[in-house]
Amino acid sequence: MSEYLYVGKNIPRTAEVDKVTGRAIYINDLKRPGMLYGKIKYSEYAHARIKHIDTSKAKKLPGVRAVITGYDIPDVRVGFLRDQTVLKKDKVRQFRDEVAAVAAISPEIAEEACDLIEVEYEELPGLFDPFEAMKEDAPLIHEVDARGRPIRTNILPLPWKFEAGDIEEGRKASAYIVKDSVETTWVNQCCMGTSGCIAEFDMNNNLTLYNQANVIFWDKRRIMEYFAQIGLKDSKVRIVNPIVGGSFGTKLDTDIYEFIAIQLALKTRRPVKILFTREEEFFALPPRQPAIFEIEQGCDKDGKLTFRWAKAILDNGAYTSWGATTPSVMMMPMSSLYRVPNVYFEAKCVYTNNIYCQAMRGYGNPQATFAVETSMDHLAEEAGIDPAELRLINCNHSGDVTPMRLKITSCGLEECIKGVKEKLDWDKKRGKRNGRGVGMASLIHVAGGARVYKSDGHGMIIKVDEHGHVDVMSGGTDQGQGSPTALAQIIAEALGFRPDDINLVFGDTAFGLWDAGTHASRHTFIAGNAALEACAKVKRQILELAVVELPKLIKHQIKRQKRKDPDFKEPDLDFSLIANPEDLDIRDRIVFSKKDPENPYFRTEVSNILREALHVGTGKSHVVVAEAFYDPPTEMLDREFKGNLSCTYAFGTTGVEVEVDEKTGEVKILQLYAAHDVGKAINPTLIKGQIYGAGYIGVGYGLTEEMKLEKGRVMNPNFLDYKMLTAKDNIPVTPMIIETDEKDGPYGAKGIGEPGLVPTAPAIANAVYDAIGVRINDLPITPEKVLKALKEKRKEK
Amino acid sequence: MIDYEYLKPKDLEEVFSLLKSYGERAVLIAGGTDVMVNIRNKKLAPEALISLRGLEDLAYVKKGEDGYHIGALATHRMLETSSLVQSELSALYDGASQVGSVQIRNVATVGGNICNAAPSADTASPLLALDAVAVLRGPGGSRKVPLTEFFTGPSQTVRASDEVLVEFEIPSEMGQFGSAYHKHSRRKAMDLPILGVAVSLKIEGEIIRDARIALSVAAPTPMRAMEAEAYLKGKKLSDDVLIEAGKIAANEASPRDSLRGKAWYRKEMIETFVPRMAHKALERLKNR
Repeated sequence: MSEYLYVGKNIPRTAEVDKVTGRAIYINDLKRPGMLYGKIKYSEYAHARIKHIDTSKAKKLPGVRAVITGYDIPDVRVGFLRDQTVLKKDKVRQFRDEVAAVAAISPEIAEEACDLIEVEYEELPGLFDPFEAMKEDAPLIHEVDARGRPIRTNILPLPWKFEAGDIEEGRKASAYIVKDSVETTWVNQCCMGTSGCIAEFDMNNNLTLYNQANVIFWDKRRIMEYFAQIGLKDSKVRIVNPIVGGSFGTKLDTDIYEFIAIQLALKTRRPVKILFTREEEFFALPPRQPAIFEIEQGCDKDGKLTFRWAKAILDNGAYTSWGATTPSVMMMPMSSLYRVPNVYFEAKCVYTNNIYCQAMRGYGNPQATFAVETSMDHLAEEAGIDPAELRLINCNHSGDVTPMRLKITSCGLEECIKGVKEKLDWDKKRGKRNGRGVGMASLIHVAGGARVYKSDGHGMIIKVDEHGHVDVMSGGTDQGQGSPTALAQIIAEALGFRPDDINLVFGDTAFGLWDAGTHASRHTFIAGNAALEACAKVKRQILELAVVELPKLIKHQIKRQKRKDPDFKEPDLDFSLIANPEDLDIRDRIVFSKKDPENPYFRTEVSNILREALHVGTGKSHVVVAEAFYDPPTEMLDREFKGNLSCTYAFGTTGVEVEVDEKTGEVKILQLYAAHDVGKAINPTLIKGQIYGAGYIGVGYGLTEEMKLEKGRVMNPNFLDYKMLTAKDNIPVTPMIIETDEKDGPYGAKGIGEPGLVPTAPAIANAVYDAIGVRINDLPITPEKVLKALKEKRKEK
Repeated sequence: MIDYEYLKPKDLEEVFSLLKSYGERAVLIAGGTDVMVNIRNKKLAPEALISLRGLEDLAYVKKGEDGYHIGALATHRMLETSSLVQSELSALYDGASQVGSVQIRNVATVGGNICNAAPSADTASPLLALDAVAVLRGPGGSRKVPLTEFFTGPSQTVRASDEVLVEFEIPSEMGQFGSAYHKHSRRKAMDLPILGVAVSLKIEGEIIRDARIALSVAAPTPMRAMEAEAYLKGKKLSDDVLIEAGKIAANEASPRDSLRGKAWYRKEMIETFVPRMAHKALERLKNR
């Protein structure tokens, strides 16, 4: 009986039929009665003083209901460092700066009105290079901080510095040392659904915000904080998610357009929708944070790592969102990917007049792992050790406590490295320098929640009605990742129901209990554990009712049978076998006696029990409902950025074989194996989906994707010139699922949302080096860069 | 705000009369895959769109005694799936089959691709390498313009505002050429070329009897590399000769630095792909 009915099975995604048939309601489809359409007027300069804004023509356009500028709304700062206002009225600091906004009866009229707004600027010199911006005499992008105190530097006041052990000791103990410069650039999250929201106030000034937030309770809190400052402190806020077409980090912060929709709704007293175009998605949303690294690593003569030292410069852009906090995640691979005793890492975030940055799948980890893993390959070469072997020598293992104080529980890294090595036929293919090459890279990431907020909890309410329908109110959100299906499997398994019985309601602050959000690859792990707790309570309630109702049902049944058949012989039933809740269990909707499981009299559908318990006619009827709140036993990082912030960690290795055309510089991926320690695959098809998707984004990061900025302007805000790969590019990703049965995970599961992306780009870079002997440490690895490097190499000879 | 009249004349006479009455305020539209994008991006704001989709009899690909005839309204998908194009006008198959996606190729027409006159048009180099002649018709009658004289600048052609491109003629002797086109792009779909190279060759034994080399995104308009062609004529076929032709062609080109590619890289790609496409063209001749 211990075999799982639903966990580990490839149950098809539940809600997806509606999506693929066009019935699912996205923000694009959602309309509210009397709704208006909002549009935003953006800056025409990267850095300029606003001299004058004339909205008179826009206001006169028929169909326009409101035109607002920074002069029409309270001058309140928002954002993680409170370094911007909703609408900018004195100065613009980047091209995406929101200068004015319009609400009109159609999106077309709103757009036309935006064009009619005349803004007079006085252009200021811009800073587009973080190194220029760090110079002492550089002009300041911000004059004062949130408290009005003067700012003297463009370097953000963030304390990103990590130290463990002694770097000098590590250097002394090294037989080999390598030092590299590594650079990554802006990439866009490229969600299938563009961003948007509808803000709607009732007559008591309570707000319902239909948006795509993936941390609805933080979103609510940020808006409440905003309300407190604009005189709406008594207003209530409800966040409701429609179906979301992907987030990949874009919906982690409350974006400026949401505050603008709120202001337009306040002004017009009508629901206002703002929906981004694809172009806005590229130039007016915060992309992945670019980073420039100096990295130095050493090992002793046996290949044991002795130290790792790295400095990062992050181009923060003009304002601060979560991108500026990615160094806290960069510390994880820097300190804990492979065993390394002495570590130093620091990161500086620098204001520039470029686009500001946010979270994206991996949250700093892809950048840092690109630095660590390309440097590992360099070190392996320097030490004359096979790069796979160097990784195995320094492999993380179960029971390790890393310099960041991460406690490694289950760890399948060794299996991942060896598995990829074998699949690639590594020993035979490596080191040929004939235009074909193999390379690998690994990763560590949080996989059991991430205590980045003081609560990393998830609340879940489960009720079961007399039809045997299970409604689950989760405080979480679904960004399209598939965790509702995985949760339905977990709940069905734990309750003894079927996945079809489970109806998940999520993405609504009115129904859900607190959840720290769908981020950090945490949702299935944390919500799954909450589900197990809630299911245990619900099941107990059902079984307690069954102890009362089952004997009654059996007696009714016997009576009925006697009535039908006068010769019916009453069975000799031992009712003590079903006298206690502990004697009973539920499986596949059937309540049964554990001690006499096949006895048909002791078996009945759960709904029969629940119906009897509800319709009792005595004033003592029962319903079944329970809640659970799971907050994992983890720690916040301390002042030194040390602490076990996750219950468990994901490990994985990507191995690729590439072919490089030495005449064109093109890199073709012949094979890509992505081995991931997932703890336990709740749904292997869904996991493979995560690994494929993350793998493709990783290949894009490695080879083709880049937002091209020229003096702060995004020059390729469209899919023609932003080279996201297509189905036709046919990247041969093969997922390899490694199961380590994580003791703290729901049914042994770990998070897998982000990991697949993280090691892909460095694995490609390492394979390119193996193929042609040229290291491209600057993403993406474009044909032009490869060809140029090859030419330089030939010249050297 | 985007607002226009949509007119769908039934025959060319009606097209001419609409062109006359609307003049500059109207734009001809066939598949719409360029025109609609330009309207949305506010590069075009016509008062009227005159659709050519009613002229169904201009969508054909056929071979006659006087050569090949391709109707201006033939879609890329028609060219791609035509066995005649595949086997005898292979470079055109290469170009047409790599435009956008199947959905786009189902509506985008070859006439539109040429009249849009983008330096990156994927059917331009193949048609240039196949000696195509554009047939323009206006109220006063028809005129034929060799494609080498058709493009006058980016988005500019010799087509007069009252004329309609109706057909491409390809001389029948081009059927004896082997041809191939390479679209050098970062993606295999939904992309424009960083550079396009079309080569067609006629061979007798080991001797190159005749050659055409056409380049896209190598100059303000799609162009022929005539010096390289002249160099090849009469030469004995060898790798060195083809490599030299690539170098000459690269020198004839005047690509620019753009977001999509650097000039030096484009020149390198001309050098690389002239020989590669020549080999492919010869391979196809052999297998015919």
